[in-house]
Amino acid sequence: MTYLVRRLLEALLVFFGISLVIYAMTYVLPGDPIAALAGDRPLAPSVARALREQHHLDDPLLVQYGHYLAGLFHGDLGTDFSGRSVAEQMADRWPVTLKLALTAWGIEAVVGVGLGVLAALRQGTWTDRTVLAFTIGATSVPVFVLAYTAQVVLGVRLGWFPVAGNTDGWPTSYLLPALCVAAFGLASVSRLVRAEVIENLRADYVRTAVAKGLTRRRVVGVHVLRNSLIPAVTYLAIDLGYLLGGTVIIEGVFNLPGIGQLLFQAIRAHAGPTVVGVSTALILIFLAASVLVDLLNSLLDPRIRHD
Amino acid sequence: MFTAPASLSLALVLALAGAGCSGGTSGSGGAAKTGGFTVAVAEPDHLTPGRSTVGWDQLRVLFAPLVKVDALGAISYVQAKSVTSTDARHWTIELRSGWKFHNGEAVTAQSYADAWNATAYAPNGWSGNGQLAGIEGYAALNPAKGKPKAKTLSGVKVVGATTLEVTLTSPDSQFPLQLTPSQLGFYPLPKAAFTDPKGYDKKPIGNGPFKMTTAWKADEGTTVKAYAAYRGTRPKSSAITFKSYADLNTAYTDVQAGNVDLAYVPVSKYGQAKADFGDRLYTYDAPALEFMGLPLQDKKFQDIRLRKALSMAIDRSAVNKAIYGGLYTPATSLTPSSEVGAETDICDACAFDQAAAKKLLKEAGGWSGELTITYPGGLGLDELYKAVANQLRQNLDIGSVKAVPTADWAEFSEKAFAGKITGLNHSHWGALYPSMQATLRGIFTKAGGCQVCSHYSDGDVDKLLQQADTASDTASAAKLYNDAQKRVLQDFPVIPLFYGSYIYASTDKISGVTVGPADIELSRISVVG
Repeated sequence: MTYLVRRLLEALLVFFGISLVIYAMTYVLPGDPIAALAGDRPLAPSVARALREQHHLDDPLLVQYGHYLAGLFHGDLGTDFSGRSVAEQMADRWPVTLKLALTAWGIEAVVGVGLGVLAALRQGTWTDRTVLAFTIGATSVPVFVLAYTAQVVLGVRLGWFPVAGNTDGWPTSYLLPALCVAAFGLASVSRLVRAEVIENLRADYVRTAVAKGLTRRRVVGVHVLRNSLIPAVTYLAIDLGYLLGGTVIIEGVFNLPGIGQLLFQAIRAHAGPTVVGVSTALILIFLAASVLVDLLNSLLDPRIRHD
Repeated sequence: MFTAPASLSLALVLALAGAGCSGGTSGSGGAAKTGGFTVAVAEPDHLTPGRSTVGWDQLRVLFAPLVKVDALGAISYVQAKSVTSTDARHWTIELRSGWKFHNGEAVTAQSYADAWNATAYAPNGWSGNGQLAGIEGYAALNPAKGKPKAKTLSGVKVVGATTLEVTLTSPDSQFPLQLTPSQLGFYPLPKAAFTDPKGYDKKPIGNGPFKMTTAWKADEGTTVKAYAAYRGTRPKSSAITFKSYADLNTAYTDVQAGNVDLAYVPVSKYGQAKADFGDRLYTYDAPALEFMGLPLQDKKFQDIRLRKALSMAIDRSAVNKAIYGGLYTPATSLTPSSEVGAETDICDACAFDQAAAKKLLKEAGGWSGELTITYPGGLGLDELYKAVANQLRQNLDIGSVKAVPTADWAEFSEKAFAGKITGLNHSHWGALYPSMQATLRGIFTKAGGCQVCSHYSDGDVDKLLQQADTASDTASAAKLYNDAQKRVLQDFPVIPLFYGSYIYASTDKISGVTVGPADIELSRISVVG
């Protein structure tokens, strides 16, 4: 119990520290957010002044941060410069990012592990080489090149997928972007799994199991796979945290209004409250993901224990 | 041996095919049923007209302007019956009677007075505020310090249900042109805009050909339907769906795929747009000027011959062909041809002439040291300024010419406003109404919003502009504005590059796409496919 209280207090301190640092970082970004708001046609000086006052932009950093915290204690996450509530925006956008991230993650996990095991079992054959070539390709092509190409070829030319937007809902609108997001992780997972499976296949316990007459299916499916998954699970859990952070490029290219896009736009607009709100949520997700990794690893390998 | 990959790819193909079907039917079927079409737009910041900086496309169909200008520069009245004055300072606006907002409220002189007062009142922080700066009483609502004491413009008087009297601070012959569609600050507002400002900002009630039936959904858009009781020219389609895009490149691709019928073409696609869309690409010279400013206060840039040499060393049509697929028009004056009465082909130093440029540079004493061109990063301007820098280097034999981007627009504008840019700088000025006044006053007077782009003002120019502002008829005003720009060109304070362009791409589902001085006319578009 005291342990839990201590952890919570620590978390609170971490929150204040991090939010202040992030707030300070948006504060020192070069350029005037109000001037940027109006585009190339400058605002009347009186209006610029009124907006600066409304958003406390002329106050020193700590006073601005104080205003932000005061709002936070009233359950108000603040607003951006066009008056949209940060909480509302996050609520609108999380589902989009969640759907994209989980779809991509599912593809990574299932296809990645599948290809990895397949390549390991068929080591040295041309199946293995095809998987290798595919993974090299997937990791070396920059994600935006992949995204634009996929969009033009599969979306425009062949018309198999909607090009952009989420009007068709899940899964139709999310498949192509999820495939593009997943490409890199999928390749990494399959390489990790392949290496581990090959190593474990040579392990003593496998020889023993085979010698004791276990079927190959059971040896590979239960014993080898379980022991081979640890690095992949670690990778996948961390990657889930990353995916939930939204993928700015993919969300931009496929016009999915997710959390990554929101953060990107907020940084460009120097919108302190939005940046802090989103980043704090992301930090929480990363923390949760790392706890998840620990738990899963101890399930997979009973020797790993957290005391 | 390869059963697994084969079944995997089969599964993928099935998934793809399924996706294709559902995507295709919902796209085309939906459009045909409603007789409407879809337009890609950027996410608007606000939809209350006086407050919005991004919502032009939506607001221009939801609202009817007082005055409209056709492609030839002729004025026609829409919500106004007449806009008249005897001295160009005291204006009487007669409204057409019987016109109603979408909620049934009558459009009256008071609707205009309320809207203009709210826009001009500084503490509201509405971005259209500056558009009303010429009206008497504006200064009282926008004091340099503290809260304004007045809440209404003393120069706006409601004298009857449909009669509005407007007094300007000084005579301005161009006032009717300022009442055209892109000047969002001049639209009327119904009472509902003040009783529920938040709701109104998402679901504006206008007096135009289309009405909003469901509120704007953030990052998605909405559909507007033809307003049956509209008294002006009937729109040619029954509905327009606005779809919000974070990236215009994506909108462009979506038009190629036929999921959106009309989109503004981003600069990065200019090179391929003609090949992609052929005769479904529409271009029009916007009342905008792309140019480079110079730090005139710097000794190095004070010789007019040097400034002309820099300008004449740039082969604008080669840049246009190489980077913009020939879609831009090289500038040959300071005022784009879409502005009423504007003369072009009056800028000798805008023509590429390497020999003359070299000669002028020599006469001016040559150039030593580094020459930089500063421009905002992230806006797709990199290729343009790299090409310009290359040309200056090669054509003038200047050793070091560098194109330097800032991180973003915010940093660029801060630097520009603080006068911290030392070499050439990117500049762009888009006029909101098609009058030479908007461009010349904006860039070349102390009062102009883009004075930091040019750092230029001159007594002679001010005088000529003032004479033009007070001129009694359009022709003599135009002549005086042209005199003013010729006077500016003598001093050659900026390097004109191109006139801005409105460029749109469409699917073959729609026809009648027309672009005019006030940008695209969505209500003239009809659905054919």
